[in-house]
Amino acid sequence: MITVHNVIKKFDEDTVLRYKDLTFETGSSYVLLGSSGCGKSTLLNMMAGVISPDSGIISFDGKNMSSLSQREKDKFRVEKIGFIFQDFKLIEEMTVEDNINILKLEGVSTEKTDEVLSNLGILSKKKRKVKQLSGGERQRVAIARAFVKQPEIILADEPTGNLNYAIGKEVVRQMLEIAKGKTLIAVTHDDRLAEYFDCIIDMNDVTCHCTAEEVNENA
Amino acid sequence: MLKFTLKNMMTKKVKIFLIVLSIIISSSVGILAYNIAEQVRSGIVNTAAYYDIIIGPAGSSTQLAMNTMFFTDTPLGTISYEYVEELEADDRTNTVIPFAMGDSYNSARIIGTKPAFLEGKELAEGEMFHETFDAVVGSAVAKTYGISVGDKLVTSHGLSESGSSHESTPLTVTGILETTKTAYDNAVFTDIETVWSVHDHEEDEHEEHDEEHNDEHAEDTSENEAPSHGHIITDSSEEKNEEEEHTHESGTVCAILVKSKSFSDYYEITEEYGKDSSLLVINPSTVLREVLDNVDLSKQIVYILCIIILIMNVFVISTITLLNMYDSQKEIALMRLIGISTGKVNLMFLIQNAIIGLASTALAFGASRLCIMLISKFVSSMGIVLDARAVYPLEWVIMAVVFIISVLPTLICTAHISKKDIIRN
Repeated sequence: MITVHNVIKKFDEDTVLRYKDLTFETGSSYVLLGSSGCGKSTLLNMMAGVISPDSGIISFDGKNMSSLSQREKDKFRVEKIGFIFQDFKLIEEMTVEDNINILKLEGVSTEKTDEVLSNLGILSKKKRKVKQLSGGERQRVAIARAFVKQPEIILADEPTGNLNYAIGKEVVRQMLEIAKGKTLIAVTHDDRLAEYFDCIIDMNDVTCHCTAEEVNENA
Repeated sequence: MLKFTLKNMMTKKVKIFLIVLSIIISSSVGILAYNIAEQVRSGIVNTAAYYDIIIGPAGSSTQLAMNTMFFTDTPLGTISYEYVEELEADDRTNTVIPFAMGDSYNSARIIGTKPAFLEGKELAEGEMFHETFDAVVGSAVAKTYGISVGDKLVTSHGLSESGSSHESTPLTVTGILETTKTAYDNAVFTDIETVWSVHDHEEDEHEEHDEEHNDEHAEDTSENEAPSHGHIITDSSEEKNEEEEHTHESGTVCAILVKSKSFSDYYEITEEYGKDSSLLVINPSTVLREVLDNVDLSKQIVYILCIIILIMNVFVISTITLLNMYDSQKEIALMRLIGISTGKVNLMFLIQNAIIGLASTALAFGASRLCIMLISKFVSSMGIVLDARAVYPLEWVIMAVVFIISVLPTLICTAHISKKDIIRN
């Protein structure tokens, strides 16, 4: 279970995001909807330990992320979290297989590669360079990299942002299929894809924008 | 880690090739310049002036020294052999060596002298020349032309390979010198009598030929062929084109190498023979020191140029490295986002750049040796022997510096990038 409690993230004196308390149950899929700048991606990045909240608590099964060192956050991210990005975050000149094998640098097993690629329908592209693949195939590679290590939590930041609706829908369907039993939290702009998830969270209702001064007054 | 690093490097083949090429060019120029300068210097030092006096025809002292010490340049002309006999009879001298040069075997010079000229030089095989038409060849000559003891060498007239052949008077190889890393490796040594005999025999043939076909010119021919036995100098300035032929004249030598018994004897002999305006008397040490000073000056210029090239290349390498690292920012951020630790990212780029640095310096070293081998072929005929196997301590320092230059900036850059905001990249 992931809990977000009274989290505040400051970007500058006039841009501060404040999150209401949130709970994400293990094994469920969540989609975060909301307008641009409402703090969806920021929340995912804080949950992944990529950035730190200025105050408040984000905890995984009772363990506060803020109490971890950078090295522990890296370890947590590589072992427990599968992160999927809108712009794929793949090395274009390398093959699909090598992009997944990056995880071996941290000692993560990639023995499930073929199985995951097969589930996503891109096993035949394993030896291809990423630059030779279509957008949909690239996103599937990114999903495969996130799932190969069998993470407990999958964070997907606009996974269909660079894909058309039809392909996006197929990618989401496949992602949810292989994420069964795991916690999946996805961010999307596309309301039409929201129906496939267990829970829909409108981030416009969860976050509020304020200034640093207002935060201090309310503290 | 290594496997992934190598695969990652393969995705940047062109960039890495350019970086490696840049480092190879810059460092091999530095290594090459230093090595050649050192080898030339040590070559001159090794040809230590065992003789304290060299007497030759009037002319350039450097030409006389280079001619007798390194067998380079053309001889100044000839002086009578009677000088040799006179000095041999002189109580003030320890060693007196006649020196004649004029013919060649392919590109190797034929030196007419006495066995004492090769004193201190070991024979790899065979024995010293004893009789007329016997010859001892330098190691490089033997190796280049596949010469072994007992072979016959047909020499050519003059110092160029295009001269007429002395086919009727071939030299018999009696010995091959051990490698000395000096000009001796590129020469053929024979008795002074051999040089004269080859020439006399040649002249006899010409004479017979002339008598048979042109009686009108017989008188002129016999005058030209008369051996010169007085204290006669054949002045090279008179007829430059015939200079080489004059060096063969019977009873003449190109130079005399003398080792005096004492300092006072040295001064007396130098003064005595120096009074003769037709002679040039030099101290080889003094002349070689002047040559060395010039070489040193050239070396300094080469060093300055090398430093400029190296500084320029530091900028070039740094620029390429920075551009490369700028390209790698996304890669680093990507790895950090999926949880690869800063240490692992740094280690990967450290290995990558260490491979580039090591490969570049090793290839630069190889390229410099290859250049030395190629240059050696061109300069060996000038008496300069370059050994591609000779490595000087400073060369290792240059390579170490090149390695550090190629690795350190990248390492600092990687460490800096991996600590930056990975979301923005």
